[in-house]
Amino acid sequence: MPFYVVKRALPGVTPEVLQSAGLRAKTCCAEMTGEGQPVRWVRSFFLPETAETHCYFEAGSKDAVEEANQRARIPFTQITEVEEMTPEMV
Amino acid sequence: MGDVDTAASFAIFAAKQGGAAEVTPDHILLGCMRVISRFGIAVIGAWSVDLESLGVDWVRQPAGPRPKVAYSGETVALFDQAARIAKSTGAASVGITHLLAAFASEDAGLMGELKRTYGITNSSWRAAIAALEQAEPGSGEKTQAPEYLSPEQAAEALGIHVQTMRAYIRSERLPAYRLAGERAIRVLRSDLEKVLEPLSSGAEGKKEKEN
Repeated sequence: MPFYVVKRALPGVTPEVLQSAGLRAKTCCAEMTGEGQPVRWVRSFFLPETAETHCYFEAGSKDAVEEANQRARIPFTQITEVEEMTPEMV
Repeated sequence: MGDVDTAASFAIFAAKQGGAAEVTPDHILLGCMRVISRFGIAVIGAWSVDLESLGVDWVRQPAGPRPKVAYSGETVALFDQAARIAKSTGAASVGITHLLAAFASEDAGLMGELKRTYGITNSSWRAAIAALEQAEPGSGEKTQAPEYLSPEQAAEALGIHVQTMRAYIRSERLPAYRLAGERAIRVLRSDLEKVLEPLSSGAEGKKEKEN
């Protein structure tokens, strides 16, 4: 399944709000996967200097990633498909 | 130990069952209580809440096409509050008790209804949830089974609904004792097998009056 990065601008966000968002993302992904629309939150990186968050999802489609974020009520600025690369692959 | 994922899943299911477009705090509260319940009863502090009386339907599937539900704005705020409570207690992750504690100052919806029905106050709810949190890790203490059981404990021991247990007591199929001068009823653990019948001895005849 393809990977996607979801970019968010979250100025002033606290660690607790990020934790709450993660919980909502995880549970919405589980629900959608159970409904037959596979989507998995893989991991996120918070960039303190720009107050941005990059969240990586694995899903059947970009639409599924968008829907999971809408259901979880987590705002985003952009969703883009990405190519995965790990040290083991090179 | 408390499973927030499961509570959220129950909450989403309840929203879908009700045909709601959003998962509200009421659904989350039902989901949390369902996770901590045993045989349909959620015991929080001194309050035993029968989930069926709150409209929980364990099996009915949502009608029509599969609805898609999103968390409501109030539910987002509730999760945020639970995360803040988790942090204030030094917990690494958000647990079911943090979510339940986040309802303490809620006076609307289902929580407001529970407060009015059971006389729950903000502080008594917080104290009960704190006790629940303390009780969870110490489940190892449960190895010593008590000899005298409350109807709730007796129902749990047999894996039946507490209403069924009360019916056994009312119909005198199970001996029960009233604590002197109190309303509380106890049954003897060793008496429990009196309501067990072997399947071979006429299973048909045993479904008599149940209430």
